[in-house]
Amino acid sequence: MTSGVTTAADTELRERIRRTLRSQKQRTITVLSSLLAVQHEIKYVPEVAIEETAHFIKGATINDVWSVASFYTNFRFTPPGDHTVEVCWGPSCHIKGAQHVLRAVQSELGLDREGETSDGKFTLRYNTCLGACAHAPVIAIDHVHHGRITPDSAVRHVKQARSKPAPGH
Amino acid sequence: MPDPITFTIDGQEVAAKPGQTVLQAAIDAGVYIPYLCYFPTMKPYGACRVCVVEVETPSPQGPRKATLASCTAPVSKDMVVNTQPKHIAELRKGILDLLMTEHPHGCLTCHRIELCGSQDICLRHVRVNDRCVACPKNERCELKDTVRSAQLEMETPLQYHNRNLPIHVDDPFYDRDYNLCIVCARCVRVCEEVRVDSALSLISRSGRTIVGTSHGSSLLESGCEFCGACIDVCPTGALVERDYKWDKAVKSVNTVCPNCPVGCQVFMDVNKRNKVIRVRGDFAGAANMGMACFKGKFATDYPNHPGRVRYPMVRVEGQLQRTTWEQALERITVGLLKYKPAQVGVISSPRGTNEDHYVAQKLARVALKTNNVDSALNVVPELTESLQNVLGHPAATNSIWELEKSKAILVVSGNPTEEQNVLAVPIKKATRAGASLIVIDPRETELTRYAAHWLRPRPGTEVALLGAILRVVFEESLEDKNPGVNNAGGIGDLKQKLWDFDLVRISSVTGVPADAIRAAARAYGAVRPAAIVYGADTIGRADRANLVQAAANLAMATGNLGVRGGGLFPLYHGANTQGALDVGCTPSLLPGHRRIDRAEDRKRIAESWGVEVPSETGLGTNVMFEAMAGGQIKAAIVMADGIPPKSDLLGDVQAAVGNLEFLVVSDYVMSEIASQADVLLPAATYTEISGTYTNLERRVQLLRPGMALTGEERPGWQALAAIGQATGSAGFEFESSSSVLAELTGLVDVYKGITPERLADRSLQWPVWASDHAGTPVLYNEANESKPQFRAVTMTAMDAQPDREFPLLLAHGRVLQDPTRDVRITKADELNQLSRDEIVELHPEDARALGIAAGDLVDVRSRPRADGGSDLFTGIARLTSPHRGMIAITTLFASVASDVEHSQHPDPAPRVRGLPLRQVVVTKAPVAATAAD
Repeated sequence: MTSGVTTAADTELRERIRRTLRSQKQRTITVLSSLLAVQHEIKYVPEVAIEETAHFIKGATINDVWSVASFYTNFRFTPPGDHTVEVCWGPSCHIKGAQHVLRAVQSELGLDREGETSDGKFTLRYNTCLGACAHAPVIAIDHVHHGRITPDSAVRHVKQARSKPAPGH
Repeated sequence: MPDPITFTIDGQEVAAKPGQTVLQAAIDAGVYIPYLCYFPTMKPYGACRVCVVEVETPSPQGPRKATLASCTAPVSKDMVVNTQPKHIAELRKGILDLLMTEHPHGCLTCHRIELCGSQDICLRHVRVNDRCVACPKNERCELKDTVRSAQLEMETPLQYHNRNLPIHVDDPFYDRDYNLCIVCARCVRVCEEVRVDSALSLISRSGRTIVGTSHGSSLLESGCEFCGACIDVCPTGALVERDYKWDKAVKSVNTVCPNCPVGCQVFMDVNKRNKVIRVRGDFAGAANMGMACFKGKFATDYPNHPGRVRYPMVRVEGQLQRTTWEQALERITVGLLKYKPAQVGVISSPRGTNEDHYVAQKLARVALKTNNVDSALNVVPELTESLQNVLGHPAATNSIWELEKSKAILVVSGNPTEEQNVLAVPIKKATRAGASLIVIDPRETELTRYAAHWLRPRPGTEVALLGAILRVVFEESLEDKNPGVNNAGGIGDLKQKLWDFDLVRISSVTGVPADAIRAAARAYGAVRPAAIVYGADTIGRADRANLVQAAANLAMATGNLGVRGGGLFPLYHGANTQGALDVGCTPSLLPGHRRIDRAEDRKRIAESWGVEVPSETGLGTNVMFEAMAGGQIKAAIVMADGIPPKSDLLGDVQAAVGNLEFLVVSDYVMSEIASQADVLLPAATYTEISGTYTNLERRVQLLRPGMALTGEERPGWQALAAIGQATGSAGFEFESSSSVLAELTGLVDVYKGITPERLADRSLQWPVWASDHAGTPVLYNEANESKPQFRAVTMTAMDAQPDREFPLLLAHGRVLQDPTRDVRITKADELNQLSRDEIVELHPEDARALGIAAGDLVDVRSRPRADGGSDLFTGIARLTSPHRGMIAITTLFASVASDVEHSQHPDPAPRVRGLPLRQVVVTKAPVAATAAD
């Protein structure tokens, strides 16, 4: 349901999603694979993608698709920021001071929880384990790991990212 | 039948059917195990764990003990089940404690629950929000029964956490309060597993999981068909019907829904003020398996209308005035007997019982000496009567729920989802089990979404398509090789005539590609059993007999007669049109399907009645209304319950009866028809009578009265019999509906073994040859053979050529959901209403001739309908119509649900408009810029 007026931008978004859904090449195409394809293409799963996936997968309704999408925490339903900052708070990083890193990053971004900055530049996410415990504490900016981080170096990396264009553009 | 498995439950030896779970076997054995998520008509789910039991299974190493959920544990031989050991009771209590952290518990554990009487005020042992009286399901809450069985303490150890979710009160018919939900997922499962709709799903994960729709959207856009199945299975107060939400039932009566030929068995709840407050599908009902639909569940409270006609009235100096039955009958006798038999007609109610219909036709034939008698919604008599000519019996050959087991189903020109709702359920279930559904319809309907093959012929060419399918069947040797088929009468001629139906030709006639026809023919012909479901929504009068013959040829040639899951199903209207036909309430048939035009048939009836039977075939319902309007019929008796005053099916009944010189009406309210009566008789409704209905699958079912009559209303048979007696004719001395049934079963051979006593136990499918005959689910098998004859079908010219003023044919479709287009939700009377930009599909050549380009805003206006209005659509043109001369629009079912909800009429169900083809004119809309709002 998008209330109000169907705009050209809406139509274009639907077209883009349809192209994405159709371009899946693997043998088994499911609701889940379709949602992943959409998120990969446009970085999040907008409401029209739920609708288009329901149309694309025979026998599925919007409720079936939303049931799958809302189950997985990896799907996001709002546009992400230009850059993603992930702070690991797994046990190793926690012992090595991840809390301080997290607080420093949050104050640099002006956030007090996970989410997007008001200017849409950054998305902050907590990560349970980035898989590099030997380098704890770890953060990842746009999926590039930075190990043995301190609150200051974390803020420095964030500032550097701010001046760069969004990845993929 | 495999051997039963014996096992022990609570020390009692019990036999279980193989494959049963412990819980199912316990329910059958009458052993109580509390459960919440399990529901007898659905697959075991194992979510709530309340049904845990201790199970001991023998093994070579000695007995093995386990604690299992009985709903998912299959029974095995020599298993020992204990439902009540102390540790199990403790465990169950713990599970319920956890469950109750998200459901208010005052209503469940209050120590006064069994002490408070109906007039007591709450003694405030519990918080205001938690009181049992604050819940609409109070006194019929399954959760409460379960909790009581576990004897939970009044204060449970865990804190109650109120989810504070918004309550959904703005969709039609239901209120949804998920604060009371225990996430047993019964509603989600019934919607997905039984109805195949998935209009609800489980949203989110873990502790936050809750039932809902995509993004919390309205049910209007989630694909809901408002069947109410989710309400009927909900164990808590989370889902309830909005009307009579707080009313308590004092009794619940098993009866039959009066709205369509499926004949759903329902429980009718009646409150202490003698009102019907709820209708629930009966899960033991063989015709509906517990299902109901938006009409049956939410449009069946019309007997409660405050404007009920309670006494007879006669017209005196232009005004209807109260009178007595005696005076009314005298007036009727004088009024009717003035006219010649050919000038009189009797229209029986579409909701009439077999008894009503029988007395109606007897009155017409004996007292009024005319065959002008019909049940009102028998508007397409060809659908059944042609079957009599072809096969022997004028009725569907098989049972509705056999469709679930069909391997292929062919649906022609019908929209069961809206007209015969529950019939669509087994069709949808079959498709999910892998059956191929083939739909032949120019309109897009709900079933086209489930169809593997949707053939969209040019309107009026459906029969040609069936001929072509039969030709492919023979061409590719898909026909039944049984000698019975190959030697059947007429097969040579049939095969000869099929040369007319070559695919190139039919493809150009119907506009359906030859490959698609071939693929559909293979889908139907290559598997057994395969069923055909046919209506005549888009088929003109001239072609209807051909349609039935073509469908029958196809079923016979592929060996689909006389087998379970095969056969033919006509989609007609009216709750008891089949019964009317059986008992002779039609202009061409006498009781027992005897033919008016056959002297020996007339003689048989005349001997029984002791009077001559008029020999001239009478007028059927639609012709009769035309004859009233034209003045050929001058006097009539109209049993008006369920007759829409103006409709596509019957035309302008209101004007037709207004043209009569003398009109007798039996109605329950002062309707548009009743208000024109010269004599108005007060009618009893389906809630107040005993009698029988015969449904689409020949199932004779019993109606039981739930409401008491409060005035001088009489059931149809009684009013008609009184008229018969008043005219001085003999044979109308009936004491009760059972005595009518006793007389008619003597004349209707296929009803011979039917008695009210037998029907009280279970419904019976005719033919029931004797009092010990169990009825006949499938016609034309070995036991009751007939010799079907093939008869070649010839192609007829296209019917109803569009005219100059309205040159195009509109194929108006309707679907439950369409996720590809944006919709807008607005409020009307605080209820959600839905709108969207419609798309008008035009053929490129028509568009060019009209100067319309793709994307233009166009107006579509139909020829005025019978009810005076005309259909108007504004939409965006797309040049995608497959046929020149045909335009197509597909709207959403939500508008029908909203219309029924908002209807001011006490009885909206018969007024729901179907989807006939309409003649329309398309013009470019004057303003182009406001497309979006």
